[in-house]
Amino acid sequence: MAESWISPPTRQPLIEDLVSGVDRYNPSNVGILEDYLYHQIRSQEYDCLANLAILKLYQFNPELYNPDVVINILIKALTTSPLPDFNLSISLLDERSINSSLEEPDPVPALLPTLKRLNDLLYKCRFPAFWELYQSAELEHLRDNYTVECVGFEDSVREVAIRAVKATFTRISAERLASYLDLNGTDLAAFVQKKGWKMEAGVIEIPPNPDNQIEATVVQENIKLSQITKLIAHGASN
Amino acid sequence: MAQPRVALWAEADDIDEDLQDMSLGNYGQNIHYDDSLFQQPIDEATLMAMQQHMAQQAAFAQIPDVVKAFIVHFHQAVLDNNLAEITIAYESGWNKYTEKFYARSEWPEAEIIAPLVNDDPIFLILYRELYYRHVYSRLQPNIDDRFHSYENSCELFNYLLNSEGPVQLELPEQWLWDIIDEFIYQFQVFCTWRSKVKSKSDDELSMLADGGPVWSSYSVLNVLYSLIQKSKINEYIAAHQAGKTPEEVAEIVGEYGVRPLYRHLGYFSIIGLLRVHVLLGDFTLALKVMENVELNQKSPYTRVTACTVATYYYVGFCYIMLRRYPDAIRTFISILNWIMRMRQYHTRSYQYDQISKTADRMYALFAICNALSPSRLDDNIANISKERYGDQFAKMARGGEEAVPAFKELFLYACPKFINANAPPYDDAIAINTILSQPEGSDLSDAIDPAQRHLSLLLSDVVAQTPVPTLRSFLKLYTSLGAKKLANFLDADEEEMVQQLMVMKQASRSVTHVPGGKGLLDGQTASTSDLNFVIDENMVHIAESTVGRRYAGWFIKNTERTQKLYGDLKAQPLPAAKASVGSTNHPVELAKPVTRPVAPKVAWGGVAIKA
Repeated sequence: MAESWISPPTRQPLIEDLVSGVDRYNPSNVGILEDYLYHQIRSQEYDCLANLAILKLYQFNPELYNPDVVINILIKALTTSPLPDFNLSISLLDERSINSSLEEPDPVPALLPTLKRLNDLLYKCRFPAFWELYQSAELEHLRDNYTVECVGFEDSVREVAIRAVKATFTRISAERLASYLDLNGTDLAAFVQKKGWKMEAGVIEIPPNPDNQIEATVVQENIKLSQITKLIAHGASN
Repeated sequence: MAQPRVALWAEADDIDEDLQDMSLGNYGQNIHYDDSLFQQPIDEATLMAMQQHMAQQAAFAQIPDVVKAFIVHFHQAVLDNNLAEITIAYESGWNKYTEKFYARSEWPEAEIIAPLVNDDPIFLILYRELYYRHVYSRLQPNIDDRFHSYENSCELFNYLLNSEGPVQLELPEQWLWDIIDEFIYQFQVFCTWRSKVKSKSDDELSMLADGGPVWSSYSVLNVLYSLIQKSKINEYIAAHQAGKTPEEVAEIVGEYGVRPLYRHLGYFSIIGLLRVHVLLGDFTLALKVMENVELNQKSPYTRVTACTVATYYYVGFCYIMLRRYPDAIRTFISILNWIMRMRQYHTRSYQYDQISKTADRMYALFAICNALSPSRLDDNIANISKERYGDQFAKMARGGEEAVPAFKELFLYACPKFINANAPPYDDAIAINTILSQPEGSDLSDAIDPAQRHLSLLLSDVVAQTPVPTLRSFLKLYTSLGAKKLANFLDADEEEMVQQLMVMKQASRSVTHVPGGKGLLDGQTASTSDLNFVIDENMVHIAESTVGRRYAGWFIKNTERTQKLYGDLKAQPLPAAKASVGSTNHPVELAKPVTRPVAPKVAWGGVAIKA
């Protein structure tokens, strides 16, 4: 995992102590981490390990469990595909036992299959299908109650698509890109321009990057001196 | 104090009598403490105590003499901190007498053998540690065993952590590893047992309701973290890596850390944490606690084979769950090769079975990784893995629908025994009755096995990747190919196929550990496939990287072999001393024939040298 994933530059020392120290197990710190999550949601920051620390506290202290926080963590993790953040979060969601049927019904069990489907579509690079599902009437509840709060959620999803496109294409038709990004006409043109890409006759050129440059290579063996010292020594001694 | 025990050990014949006296003396004090006993009618408690005492005496009398002698000897070795003797008693004595007398029953309870060891509380804790471990491995622990083994572990760790200053005890590394390993194992089996509500008796239900912190995740983590902090093992490792002198290291780690007992326990606790976090499904934290540990086989802890094997197994597994298949492959290859090299020394070890079982599971995990991210890193390991899991591997590597059951089978076989962090609501009578009243086989009757949750995550990744092998086999045939044509071959929708190509691209990139990276989590994105492609609008361009024949390596290896052969030949004694002396300048050939008593025929030697 990249350095910025293990320790995002935006992470404050207080959070760093919680993430890396034994204090992460202290239930009274859950508020600090939850506040930090809501800060991430408002300011388009992301800190996977801090969010997993919240889920860890929930795992050990079922009474702390806050379904809205869980859903927000999952929404944040959706947009990191193909990194495994979404799966890592699900891994920590233990089965919740019966007595925890709170006064209000827990929205997580109802939303979880939907979130998993969205995640699946992103991981499968089925971007047009993602947008179709995301904008369906069925998901109105999710949009109106959760993703609307998560600043830049749709743009973060677009970034997932952009990462896949950048790695795979050298040129892509505007129509195809539009379906991946759910952007049309002037919006798409503005987006492409913001990226600094060139659009000509309905085709967008993706600048070269390490993943969209291909070259047939033959990996040749490299002989190091240390491998043949024995031979040379033998030759010299005769 | 030592005197009577030496006598006992030396004169086995007298053991019974002497010890009977001792036990009478000890227990007599407790029971007859009250002088008034003889004047007043015997109250019920006293009667019970006496009965218990008599039962204990009877049990004591049943212990074979050799076992008594063994316990006395074992105790003495522990008192003397004599590591060599402790190791013998621990690794061979205990197992020997287990086979002989206790293969199907418990060892005598600690209370019964207490008179043999002067009621030494520390030894009795250690004895119980072995006692319960034996119950768990050979017999079926009941709920009392489960609770008491927890209490005993707590007593042991309390003694180690909360005595005044570091304790003077020394134990062999292997035993220290086993203590931590067993502690976590018992935690894991307790959690699994606890999650099955339906099969509990009323007594068990009420004990679980009042169980409190027994085997709670917090208490287990607390022990492991305390041992790590007390021993300052992380500081020790860092100081060691920084090349500090032994004096500086001693200064840094303090009075606990300098003692091998604490240092070893600290290190094993790190590995223990790795394992507990994996069992609880926290794969990032598992790798994070390992951040100071360098994974290499030069580590001093490779002496404890079981520890090394466990470390690599859990690290490799974490990498799988982080979708870092190449790292998992690398981890498994290095440990599986190591196990193969070590095998010759370990077949006799009582842990050999366990190690080869874990190795088998790693071959299965290796097959999973190799199907998801094909690599040619080590053909030898790959071949063994294919030998064992050939059918499943073929299905997984081919992709498509048949792949999923094969992944499922191998994952469930090879994955750790995951646990739920929390118990079913035993302390909530209403909730537990709701669960109990569910019909058999209903979803709610028992907590769902967490392995299923992790399995479904892996499978969703697997399903996403199932089109990749087919795409790959087509792309391999071309250097460029229209997307429409490819879609026609595959009988697929062009747009969907293009999206699958993006998945394929994604699957051929992975975060991998780079040399010199900080900790096990660190890594950089790298390409993992030899087949690369790019889409230019609607045209797929393909480029394949091939590995050239390794001529040089072949020549080096064979030249070296020939040189050795030549050297050996030259060093061979010539068949006849006399013939060779005259005709050669080689001093080796001059010297050697003398050492060989029987010289073959002359003619051969002469020919050889002239030729």
